Amino acid sequence: MSAPAPLTPALPTLALRGIRKEYPGVVALDQVDLDVYPHEVLGLVGENGAGKSTLMKVMIGLVRPDTGSMALNDEPLVLLDPIQAVEHGIGMVFQEGCLIPNLTILESLFLCHELQFRRRGLLSRRAMREEAQRVLGQLRLQVDVETPVDEASPAVRQMVEIARLLWLSTLYRQQNPILILDEPTTVLNDEERATLFETLQTLKQRASVIFISHRLQEVVENADRIVILKDGRNVAELVGAEAQAARIEELMVGHTFAADRYREHEQYAPGTEVVLEVRGLSKTKAFAPLSFSVRRGEIVSLVGLVGSGKESVCRCINGLERPDAGAVYLGGEPIRAGSPSEAVRRGIGHVPVDRRSEGLALAMSVAENINLLVLDQLKVAGFLAPRLETRNARKWIDGCRIKTPSTRSLCATLSGGNQQKTVIAKWLSSRVKALVLDHPTRGVDVGAKDEIYRILRGLARDGVGMLVMCDTLEEDIGLSNRLLIMKDGRLVKEVDCAPDRKPTPRDVIQHIV
Amino acid sequence: MATATNSSTNGEGTGVGWWRRLRISPKYIPMALLTLVACAFAIGNPNFISPYNINTILVYAAPLLMVALGQMCAILVGGIDLSVGGMISFISCLFVVMVPRIGAWAYLLCLIVGVVLGTINGLVLTRVRIPSFIATLGTGGILASMSMLLAPVPVNVPASHQGLLVVVTGSYLGIDNSLYVGAAVFLLFYVILRFLPQGRQLFYVGSNIRMAWTSGVNEARIRTLAFLLSGLGSALAALALSASQFGSNPYLGTPFVLASIATVVVGGTALTGGAGGPFNTLFGALMMSMLQNGMNVVGVDQYFQQSILGLMIIICVGLTFDRSKTPVIK
Repeated sequence: MSAPAPLTPALPTLALRGIRKEYPGVVALDQVDLDVYPHEVLGLVGENGAGKSTLMKVMIGLVRPDTGSMALNDEPLVLLDPIQAVEHGIGMVFQEGCLIPNLTILESLFLCHELQFRRRGLLSRRAMREEAQRVLGQLRLQVDVETPVDEASPAVRQMVEIARLLWLSTLYRQQNPILILDEPTTVLNDEERATLFETLQTLKQRASVIFISHRLQEVVENADRIVILKDGRNVAELVGAEAQAARIEELMVGHTFAADRYREHEQYAPGTEVVLEVRGLSKTKAFAPLSFSVRRGEIVSLVGLVGSGKESVCRCINGLERPDAGAVYLGGEPIRAGSPSEAVRRGIGHVPVDRRSEGLALAMSVAENINLLVLDQLKVAGFLAPRLETRNARKWIDGCRIKTPSTRSLCATLSGGNQQKTVIAKWLSSRVKALVLDHPTRGVDVGAKDEIYRILRGLARDGVGMLVMCDTLEEDIGLSNRLLIMKDGRLVKEVDCAPDRKPTPRDVIQHIV
Repeated sequence: MATATNSSTNGEGTGVGWWRRLRISPKYIPMALLTLVACAFAIGNPNFISPYNINTILVYAAPLLMVALGQMCAILVGGIDLSVGGMISFISCLFVVMVPRIGAWAYLLCLIVGVVLGTINGLVLTRVRIPSFIATLGTGGILASMSMLLAPVPVNVPASHQGLLVVVTGSYLGIDNSLYVGAAVFLLFYVILRFLPQGRQLFYVGSNIRMAWTSGVNEARIRTLAFLLSGLGSALAALALSASQFGSNPYLGTPFVLASIATVVVGGTALTGGAGGPFNTLFGALMMSMLQNGMNVVGVDQYFQQSILGLMIIICVGLTFDRSKTPVIK
């Protein structure tokens, strides 16, 4: 793919060329080019898994690309770690924030660079306080610098991080620092958001800002230039003022709404019997009372932005969080809230979004992971029988087509897709009645995705009721029988997704945003 | 297959991948090391491999193996049991004091006490939610002082009751009974960890406690079980020690805190939990015992022995510890 013609004539401050990064089983970035010009707000958009975060990690030295080059002010730049990135004036404000909670704002601002404030061999608290007030004053932030970080609001913390990056760039004499803001608005309310956007325009005078957001309207209104990534590639570059959210959405999702990608022809018409039912479930600060049900063999997709409360709903169903009111019923019987072992015992499974931290024992074998839930069925005279263990593991390795050298291979050695299939196999072998799947195809390659769709269709045929949250709207629509749309903690709309009458992403997106 | 363990690190931060070029699976490194050290001692003094000396090594290894098997369970779930010292002192004193009063029932009593004390450790960890390092430091201190109250001076089993100690002190077919006991305890732990679902769950919990919890494993119960097993291991070791010495003293267990941890890690069980097993600990106990004995046999200066032991622990762990699981070594 050739580099898009620059829309700004000046020399780019930072230029990335042909960046490629491959993880086992997935190409995260494929020949990506990116230019950052001085004094601009660059909007970077793309769906989950499009490669935005990997690209940012490349820019701050957290990830080293397999191939490709970077240049800062026309000079080649190789970053080995984030400290070098900071020294070159490149810094990032992470979505979840990365300040140390038990330090004060003052200490956070100058962390690891306190020697600037050495007076006669000792650190001068007073000099630090004066400098902190000056630095924060530039961002028009009125706050007591001795406040501990965990008592400050998310908006304040964000400003502190921005201020820290600006201060560091002056410390290292960088004329035009590059600030990366990853989804900065998700943790802010409307008023704070407006303040942030004002700040962005001020920041532009002395820095370049890369602004990542899922709220396309924000990007359109605030970015000078918009770069769109899809599946780890550049797809388009637009001038901010001319762009339209709908057009960006199209480019992000792609024109081809391939009918067969989700094995839609195998979509199973659900039975009438309700498997999983949620009645009046609510949790303060997460979601308002809501009720819905999942029938036998039905795939229901929970759709909504980050912050819509859908994750919390799923966690309540699995007993990982305790709801304030309401209950979950399986086959008409209520389930004791807040207990994952109760949920598992009754037959509700959970395929987590982060399989490495929640789904697998990576240092254990594929067989041991698959057999976790059914150990009691693999016993002879009270003792685990290795022969039965191997047989059960082998059965599900074949059933889910997990590619592994042996049943005894460690899960850590499998590719992402095969790890995910191992997680699903674990639940299949325990004969779950309902399964909650949190982004089941995240970080797996196209082939493994298709395999996972095949397994899910098979599960539906066997009568398992499924609640899924997908990576893309397209996937939600393609995979499910029904969409439940959540917005700001409320269930706002239900959309039928019968195989021959699938809505388009554009029909659905209006309810989400 | 075992070589794959190390290749999962993306080659970053291991620094010890050199044996991969030698095509030796890390699985066999403990064996190789054990043989190598044995050969070195045997060259230093051929008496090292005399049947008599080998018996001495094994007899010394037996109680160490028992404590270490228990300690291993605590370490497998990501914890540590610092109370084994106090536990061994207390239970052995209790045994010696009780034998004249209740005879052979003292064995049973001591095992029950070990299990109960281990369970208490587990409950302090999981219910009161105090990290095991602190919890067992506390209970270990309490038990150490209890044993001093119970037996302020070294106590002996009266001659009239020493017949009861034959379980450990006697021999059968020319082999010391303590070796049979050691083998039986090893078998017990092996069966629990390999063939019982609860034993397998120790590994799930140690490997990924969040995954275990979300998959419905009662992680609190499993971690309590691990400390129960540690208490049982200490009780068994206390019985073996006090029987073989015909008595006890309130400081009997003190050296076993560090010795048991060293044995477990030398065997290759990771302090981070989830990886390792009874065979690793068996190897560790043999290694530790052999080093202690070998240094005496070849005549290493008494004052110098601790340095060599310390060095060997670092070398052994350096060669056996799988760093792929832990990005940051604390």
